[in-house]
Amino acid sequence: MTTNDDSEPEPDETESDDGEPNETESDDGLSHPTRDKKHVRALTDGDYADMWVFCETQGGELLEVSKEMLGKARALMDQFEEDYGDEEDVVAFLMGDDCEGLAEECIAYGADVAVYHDDERLERFLHKPYTEIAAHMARGEGTVESTDWREYDEPRYILFPATNNGRDLSAKVQAELDSGLASDCSDLFIEENEVSNPVKTGEPGVKKTVEKVLHMKRPDFSGFEYSTILCLDNPDRDFHPQGASVIPGSFEPLEPDSDREGLVVEHEMDIPDDWFRVEITDYDRLEAGIDLTGHDVIVCLGRGIADDPTAGMELGLDLVDAFEDAELGITRGIVTSSYQFEGHVEAYSKEERQIGETGQVVAPDLYIAAGVSGAVQHKVGMDESDTVVAINTDTDARIGDFSDYFIEGDLFEVLPRLTAAVEAGETALEPEAVADGGDDDD
Amino acid sequence: MRSIVLTKGVPDFSEGAVSFDEDGHLERGKTPTVMNPNDELALEAALQTKVRHGGHVSGISMGPPGYADVLQDAMASVYTDDSYLLSDRELAASDTWATAITLSAGLEKYDEEVADVDIVFAGFKTADGETGQTGPQTCWALDWPIVTHVVALDIDPEERTLRAKRLVEGDVDEIETVEVPLPCFVVTDPEFEPTYRTASHRLTHKELRAETEERAAEHDDHLTTWDHTDLNLDPDYIGLDGSPTIVSSVDPIPKASSDREATMLDPEDGMGEVLEEMQPYAAEAGE
Repeated sequence: MTTNDDSEPEPDETESDDGEPNETESDDGLSHPTRDKKHVRALTDGDYADMWVFCETQGGELLEVSKEMLGKARALMDQFEEDYGDEEDVVAFLMGDDCEGLAEECIAYGADVAVYHDDERLERFLHKPYTEIAAHMARGEGTVESTDWREYDEPRYILFPATNNGRDLSAKVQAELDSGLASDCSDLFIEENEVSNPVKTGEPGVKKTVEKVLHMKRPDFSGFEYSTILCLDNPDRDFHPQGASVIPGSFEPLEPDSDREGLVVEHEMDIPDDWFRVEITDYDRLEAGIDLTGHDVIVCLGRGIADDPTAGMELGLDLVDAFEDAELGITRGIVTSSYQFEGHVEAYSKEERQIGETGQVVAPDLYIAAGVSGAVQHKVGMDESDTVVAINTDTDARIGDFSDYFIEGDLFEVLPRLTAAVEAGETALEPEAVADGGDDDD
Repeated sequence: MRSIVLTKGVPDFSEGAVSFDEDGHLERGKTPTVMNPNDELALEAALQTKVRHGGHVSGISMGPPGYADVLQDAMASVYTDDSYLLSDRELAASDTWATAITLSAGLEKYDEEVADVDIVFAGFKTADGETGQTGPQTCWALDWPIVTHVVALDIDPEERTLRAKRLVEGDVDEIETVEVPLPCFVVTDPEFEPTYRTASHRLTHKELRAETEERAAEHDDHLTTWDHTDLNLDPDYIGLDGSPTIVSSVDPIPKASSDREATMLDPEDGMGEVLEEMQPYAAEAGE
């Protein structure tokens, strides 16, 4: 194995076994040092304050989710002050090539302090340097100028965007800071928690109330349940900062206010070339994809097409074509399915057409959900539609709870009838008429 | 090329298999355990590497003894050569941190005692915890270079480099090409697809399948189990004791509330109300 070849010293405050054998003879019966303890960096009885927000950028601009997190952090810390009487800050932190202007923008979006690190090698996200710099910032290391505004060991809370890169960074920074993390959160709140878990209280059967706990709510078990995750200190090992990554679109950004006052701080640190072993040789924007918003009608297909996915997709597209301004959407279930679509419809099975919490949010005049079971994540993506028509064989399907009309039937039979009727301009459809093929050729 | 693939057993969330109790909580005991779907892509990436360049693929998992079945499945379906299970009561209730520490200890032991590792593969996230943290955190403990969200990869064995395409999410999604020296850590994206371009690759793939069947049937002969003493881990720093996070509460996803009251329609009755709603949006005749 290529061993860790960066020779930087362990941070001073580390509690980890420093590699000297048998320094603490009595701690366990195993040979020394154990493998795990070299990774333990946590403090005991450290000082913690502030909510830090990693502001991810792209092409020299803040991501929307960065602004959303700043808005949420502002609200949480304003409430924090109200509840506890302590004024603690929202601290934005970011890095990149020439990002001082973005740090100022973070202030306008709700931060009290914005810490940034400029280096042309950081124009795009790279795991190693981004992790090292973020942890260095969080620990308050760096020059006196860049850290004298704070008087604590590490942040109390820390937020990251749940994007591909933000999620990776959150995992690595929290590992480096030896603390915990809830990923893909859609709600956050701060309140006390009564803990009875003996690992956390130190004594079985004792309940302990912990103040100022960040409650991190997230969908898990493939969307079947919501869990509330807490990151709590052990008696002899602090788990701070309490970390979360946040699903884009979960919160509203503040209106930017360029008159807001705040402190912009440049962070300094030597960055060795060895941290750039991963080299980005090329990058491209993916095609803008499909915009499902702003149409009169959306026809959305769900797993009800399973019996013949290609035919189901064709029937959905036929109905789309019968309208003046319509688009085809699909559920998460189709995107993640292993359906084999024939070539001519396969292009419609991609994530770019997904409607729901992790896809697009649409609000057409008319929303037709064919074979859609109606998970709550799907509802989020279409509930603002004016009129919702569900087509489903299962009258217990959840989609029935948020539909205006529920056509109890098989989409393979119902869709062609609807298409024929819309094309023919009919408002009533006798079963016989359909059986005859209608009275109007297309 | 010597690869190790991280795999995990998860409840089978496919329709019909998943079981809930009266309060709407998942009943893990009644729901069958299957290989985490994203891990199959990591295994496919390792298999592609083996087909193209030869070598050896080991599956590794942390979990109860029953996860041996998941490793056996990995052998049968994606042709791993052998299996390693990190299993111990002390590891129970690990969060991602404690899991990553344990997995990294297993990988280090493998690298020291079994063979030098060129690539560790992991899937994006599990279908149960869905954190997406374990791969990056395990890699953090190893301090290897990492490439995540990989949709395609090529290896140059002479140069000992790996070139990968990876997906970057942002306000606009991007695709990056990155180059990284071996050994490295690769996390596959759900969009990863293996490719076998030449006839000889396809032939090799077929041969591997034939030779694997026998091996998978005798999986126990190819399985090594390590506990926390084998891995030299202190029980205070793994499992529940070593986990920063706890799950405070689990709530069923609330039944969607809505102001809408659905009118039930039988398609045999003409669906007149719906057609009236649709007609204003119909395309002009002849279009």
